[in-house]
Amino acid sequence: MEAFDALLAGFGVALRPINLLWGFIGVTLGTFVGVLPGVGPALTVAMLLPLTAKLDPTGALIMFAGIYYGAMFGGSTTTILLNTPGESASIATALEGNKMAKAGRAGPALATSAIGSFVAGTIATVLLTLLAPLVVDLALKFGPAEYFSLMVFAFITVSAVLGSSTVRGLTSLFLGLFLGLIGIDSQTGQARFAFGVPELLDGVDVVVLAVGLFAVGEALYVAAYQSRLTETMEKMSSSIMMTAEDWKRSWPAWLRATAIGFPFGTIPAGGSEIPTFISYATEKKLSKHPEEFGTGAIEGVAGPEAANNAAATGVLVPLLTLGIPTSATAAILLGAFQNYGLQPGPLLFQSQSELVWGLIASLYIGNIILLILNLPLIGIWVKVLTIPKDLLYAGILVFATLGAYSLHQSWVDLLTLYVFGLLGFAMRRWDIPVGPAVIGLILGPLAETQFRRALSISQGDATVFLTQPISATFLAITVTLIVLPWIVRRFRRS
Amino acid sequence: MKRRSAAEIALSLGVLALGAGVAAGTAMLPSEGGYAGIGPNFVPGVVAAGLLLLGGWLTYEAFSGGWRNAPADDPRERGEHPFHAPSFGWISAGLFAHMALIGTGGFVLAGTALFGCVARGFGSTRIVRDAAFGFVLSLAVFVFFVKLLNVGLPAGWLAPLLGVAGI
Repeated sequence: MEAFDALLAGFGVALRPINLLWGFIGVTLGTFVGVLPGVGPALTVAMLLPLTAKLDPTGALIMFAGIYYGAMFGGSTTTILLNTPGESASIATALEGNKMAKAGRAGPALATSAIGSFVAGTIATVLLTLLAPLVVDLALKFGPAEYFSLMVFAFITVSAVLGSSTVRGLTSLFLGLFLGLIGIDSQTGQARFAFGVPELLDGVDVVVLAVGLFAVGEALYVAAYQSRLTETMEKMSSSIMMTAEDWKRSWPAWLRATAIGFPFGTIPAGGSEIPTFISYATEKKLSKHPEEFGTGAIEGVAGPEAANNAAATGVLVPLLTLGIPTSATAAILLGAFQNYGLQPGPLLFQSQSELVWGLIASLYIGNIILLILNLPLIGIWVKVLTIPKDLLYAGILVFATLGAYSLHQSWVDLLTLYVFGLLGFAMRRWDIPVGPAVIGLILGPLAETQFRRALSISQGDATVFLTQPISATFLAITVTLIVLPWIVRRFRRS
Repeated sequence: MKRRSAAEIALSLGVLALGAGVAAGTAMLPSEGGYAGIGPNFVPGVVAAGLLLLGGWLTYEAFSGGWRNAPADDPRERGEHPFHAPSFGWISAGLFAHMALIGTGGFVLAGTALFGCVARGFGSTRIVRDAAFGFVLSLAVFVFFVKLLNVGLPAGWLAPLLGVAGI
């Protein structure tokens, strides 16, 4: 019951008025940016990251977690009413949600996704509470070799296993790893790839990379290829009330989706895209009304939305207990911890128990606030969708440049921002995923440190990664993940 | 048989060139490594090798039927309109104007210029409205950050005005 006591203490922290306020700001801002097409949680947290210099860590991290969480809730509104999924995890929702809206059932679609997100988010937070202490106990046994192998596993799953192309995913990862090398080597003090430019000695800041790729790249792309298109928005039907039939069909979907989404989030498998599709397929198979799929079946909205939220919460397990980010947003959250000199992992649960458990407790509270924000107040968020694109993107870029400029008060960061914007444009146009680059930048230097530490301990013996059982297991799983799909494909062909 | 795309070839060669650049930079780094037996040049070497390998792989794909599972080249097949160069140009111009203005004109004026250019890039022709929106938004952000969060932002040419207003 140690975890229970710790959680109670966490509620004591999260319920302090100032932290409640930060949490409220976070989830409100998160819902707002989730609703806005073209702005996601990764970008929002990145733009606000320079604020860490001014705020107390607990409040700031509670706010960032709220943004992460709120964006998941808000995203479904846009998907259902506009049919432009803001992120890949919302594509499955778009399949049925937008059809329901077209059939005049936008209200129940929004309701089932909001309540489903709440149910899945809360159950997943309970699972996080129970699971985190267990993983922490296990992780305390990890040495540098284990951490390094685990990071290699995370690198491969987020870049090579997911997405439309292994080679493009890996290219993005290696680009991020290269950017992570720029600056002073933490072990020897040797400057690397700085070319004598003093600004580069500090390294490439994740704020500039993430904001450049996500905000500037996105703005350039949308302006160049989509700004002259016209969009149709579905009308909000008058009532958000779900009928008894809607409830009966929704709740099993929520629970099944939670069971699918949470495990996918906890293993480093790159976030919530896959579980949403698995949930969609499951609901289609189990539904008593399979004929409705494709024309607006409520299970097809309830399942994927719940899976999305459960997976998003699951991502926090490896992030908090091991310090391993498995999505771009998680990598930027890790950057926020690092700005305070904190390294998430088992030791943080001991040294900063109040902060970690306060953060977990804030998720319970955030879920309740989000349910209120997204059901009775849904009308406000629908209005947010009517902000014209020209003003929206102009505003986004004002905040994007603010985030980059406030790092060092230097125009050099703004030029770097534009260069990363061009890169983001090219990556979007030719379908090179940007997530692996952000993860590579953040996680690369940590992986190098663990690698060299492990070799120092073993006096330069490289077999240490294979002779330690836990480390060898991680590497074996990694190899299996790369080789298995390839073997399956060969088998199918012959 | 898919077409060869000049852009894919150029990007693939770009990855190769980056790999070569990283390899050249790695060669200049010291290798002594103490107990670990590897120095600060080891991981850069791995990254260089990775980039060269991936660049080669991308180049091979580009020449043998194009990148696999790549998006359609014709924007209409992607549900988009053809590349609109003026839009791209206005947004770039806005970012460069912002870069040039922020150190002299200050945050508010730089933000106003950026806002106007970006809105223009997205097809707006209401210059006065955009400038007004940009000015109000930048000013609000400026006041919020400087007054409430103590983040230092340059006041620039508006310093006397902002000073009179007590900001």
